[in-house]
Amino acid sequence: MKNTSSSKLVKLVILALLGTISLILFFLNFPLPFLPPYLKIDFSEVPALMAALIFSPFAGVIVVAIKNILYLAVTGAADPIGVIANIIAGVMFVVPVAILYHKYKGVKSIISGLVSGTIIMAIGMSILNYLLILPAYAWFMGWEMTDKVKWLTIIGGVLPFNAIKGIVIGLLFVPLFIKMRSWIEQKQTSFV
Amino acid sequence: MSNSFIIGQYVPGSSIVHRLDPRTKMTIIFFFVIIVFLANSVGSYGVLIVFALLSMFITRIPIHYIVKGLTPVWFLIIFTFILHLFVTREGTVLFEIYTFKVYSGGVIQGFAIAMRFFLLILVTSLLTLTTTPIEITDAIEDMLEPLKKIKFPVHELALMMSISLRFIPTLMQETEKISKAQASRGVDFKTGPIKERAKAIVPLLVPLFVSAFKRAEDLAMAMEARGYHGGEGRTKLRALKIEKRDIFVYILFAIVIALLLYTRN
Repeated sequence: MKNTSSSKLVKLVILALLGTISLILFFLNFPLPFLPPYLKIDFSEVPALMAALIFSPFAGVIVVAIKNILYLAVTGAADPIGVIANIIAGVMFVVPVAILYHKYKGVKSIISGLVSGTIIMAIGMSILNYLLILPAYAWFMGWEMTDKVKWLTIIGGVLPFNAIKGIVIGLLFVPLFIKMRSWIEQKQTSFV
Repeated sequence: MSNSFIIGQYVPGSSIVHRLDPRTKMTIIFFFVIIVFLANSVGSYGVLIVFALLSMFITRIPIHYIVKGLTPVWFLIIFTFILHLFVTREGTVLFEIYTFKVYSGGVIQGFAIAMRFFLLILVTSLLTLTTTPIEITDAIEDMLEPLKKIKFPVHELALMMSISLRFIPTLMQETEKISKAQASRGVDFKTGPIKERAKAIVPLLVPLFVSAFKRAEDLAMAMEARGYHGGEGRTKLRALKIEKRDIFVYILFAIVIALLLYTRN
């Protein structure tokens, strides 16, 4: 259907629009009742997952990056650390799903991908918070953060938050994938 | 294409800050963020506060817009201040609340950190208040230019950014339209447990994705029909140009840095 010269441009435009959808979903966030208010759940990873399934894991990374750069350009750089953390979390979640899906295809690969993505994101973000993100915030605000405080923040906030976020996105994405499977497969063949 | 941005903080105006080259503003803010951490005396904080407040007044943006931009961080600033009040144990004891002793060092440090935070937020929000997102992406494209040498696709990135920005209002309208259409068919987005709410979003996302792909194919075709052939040799509608006022602002900022270094101890 598409000739090769224009399919690259179509791909660029599609990723841009998925980035926009991702940003819109990012603004429709809601906090969880039992976690600190700065940890908010949103569905902005769903368009990135879509890009990663139709094109490649790297396309998913681009959508996550576009969303965050747009967020910076629109709202101002009030919290650069949070933006970087969001990019890393998004990559850790999206890439495993895409790799497993492209290897095995089918609903089962999506479910196992979402489970492993959730685990990688929850544990990876906990480690990263301990080593980099929390110390960076502490330095930024001149707080002194003891190891005990760091552990409390991670066990009581970061770890359950990322696990719940992964599960909630999974609960949305599995039915979405089942509904859109034939459409996704059709789009894959039109962009080789 | 005259659609204005609904989200974002931009307040139109014609002040010198509005008319500055976005690259100038971004460079100055980048260095401002660094020098804020160098301030360590009353004088050096004074220099930075005068600079920030002066730039704020020059923009002639109504003060309530700026205050509104700061609301999400007020809590954090006050919290940091109070935390320092009770945790830092330097200097003399000023007063006691039950068993907590408040030291003079705590008050000073709390005030300094809160000030630092306030300055950072104020100056960065001045950027988004006086610069459209599209100007910011133009500036990013221009400043990333050197990365072209290592084959980093700067032009493609900038193209994606400006297309994304352009379609924020369009796709927001579409999201609203679809969610109203689905709500009229009985989908409940607002209540129920998280699991149900997540599932309710599926019928919203399906048409959104399908129409985004259609739109993208149309747009790409329209671009090629008008002769789009990549970044090579492409001219610009909004060309960035360094004017006299930019050089003037750079000199002014250099003086601010010199004063800061002079007043620091």
